[in-house]
Amino acid sequence: MWKKYYFEYGEKTMKWIGAILLVSTTSWIGFDMSKKLTERPKQIRLLIQSLQMLETEMGYSQLTLQQTFQNISKKVPYPLDQFYERLAHKLSGIVIDFLTIWDEELSKFVQTSALKQTEHEVMKQFGRNLGQHTFLQQQKYIKLTIHHLQRELDDAMEERRKYEKMMKSLGVLIGLLIVLLLF
Amino acid sequence: MNEILRLLPEHIKQAVRTQVMNKWDQLEEIRLRLNRPVELNYHHKMEWISDSQFTAKDSVYVLNQLSDHSLYRMEDELREGYITVSGGHRVGLAGEVITVNGKLKQLQHITFFNIRIAKEIKNVATPFINYLHDSHTYYNTLIIGAPQTGKTTFIRDIARLISDGEATVFSKKVGIIDERSEIAASMDGVPQHNVGGRTDVMDACPKVAGMMMMIRSMSPEVLIVDEIGKEEDVIALMEAVFAGVTVICTIHGNTMEELMKRPSVSILLKNQVFKRIIMLQKKNATYFNLEIRDECGRNITSSMVKKQ
Repeated sequence: MWKKYYFEYGEKTMKWIGAILLVSTTSWIGFDMSKKLTERPKQIRLLIQSLQMLETEMGYSQLTLQQTFQNISKKVPYPLDQFYERLAHKLSGIVIDFLTIWDEELSKFVQTSALKQTEHEVMKQFGRNLGQHTFLQQQKYIKLTIHHLQRELDDAMEERRKYEKMMKSLGVLIGLLIVLLLF
Repeated sequence: MNEILRLLPEHIKQAVRTQVMNKWDQLEEIRLRLNRPVELNYHHKMEWISDSQFTAKDSVYVLNQLSDHSLYRMEDELREGYITVSGGHRVGLAGEVITVNGKLKQLQHITFFNIRIAKEIKNVATPFINYLHDSHTYYNTLIIGAPQTGKTTFIRDIARLISDGEATVFSKKVGIIDERSEIAASMDGVPQHNVGGRTDVMDACPKVAGMMMMIRSMSPEVLIVDEIGKEEDVIALMEAVFAGVTVICTIHGNTMEELMKRPSVSILLKNQVFKRIIMLQKKNATYFNLEIRDECGRNITSSMVKKQ
């Protein structure tokens, strides 16, 4: 039965199904990329905010890093809250080396976020100096990191303005192009 | 001992464990110096852990453990040169000092650590507490002793006894002004030593400000202060006494005669502010001489106290 159906209508139908699948996939990729472009500035902004919180908690509440991370994790949205919560959790146990914990959790976080390698690098450097200095020095490092992130934020905004819409249409159009070529 | 071992990097932890074995109760200090072996100090002797090297990496590790990876909280401690850890143990620090306008700002490049193991010796003061009160109040008491004669241990036990009360001892509200964090060894405001249930502690607080603050805010009946000596300390102490609070305090010195020569302190003795004066003297490694005198310097009792 299906053989007959296939020989009568199959070839055309299958082609159409294939074409639709292809176009929806490329469009989806395009939308996803544009979503990342929208998300990145937002997330950098949140990261800057969280560093400002860190500064306040360090200076005025005089809390330990562990308590500080715990507090911040309650005030920031996903996925940043997960990052701080996992850090706080790991610091509550016996800590042999803070840097490995920081690097590990940072990589995990960057993977789940829309952040790019540059932000990853900035935060990685920040971890080198976290908790190793007196408050005034620490404050300078926080300011410096925020400054770096601010620049990344400007870049990200520029990129978003330029490519956000283009990515969406590009996805659809590339899909259509391939379909046309294959037909 | 875990409170102390957790501060040390793994290889030193192991070395200390094997070297100390069952002598933990005699251990007084663990000294760490950059690029040198670890030194252990017991009551009577010292030992090197010859196959251990304390490296720069280790010193960062120890500092991180001491500060809970939050060195920014330790500014006061780095200025004072010591950190109190849980259990009341004290870690002394030395290294390079940074000064601003000739004033000490903080320590940097900390390369020497002295982990001093705190031991609470309970009931050292018990046999003597009954000399320190009449039927309803405690006497103003001065404890005289050179460094390392157990003044602080003694005053801590007095605080505990007065605060908790016992069969022949009545209980009073106690306030401790712990300027050097030695009596109660507070950590985040929580005393690490047993200073009694009715005791309030003002930690790391300058004595002069602390005494009046405590009297105003916590209405103590007995005020415990360590290491008086400066003129303003004495004035603040007199104020407290006139406010009707019993003051028990310690002072550096060997004999009463010696203290009489110090102008600020001699006023106290001449005016007979203290009804009891306890003198502590080191006799040998294990024994102390303890003498209690009244306000006129007459001997009331004297005895030998074993260190542990």
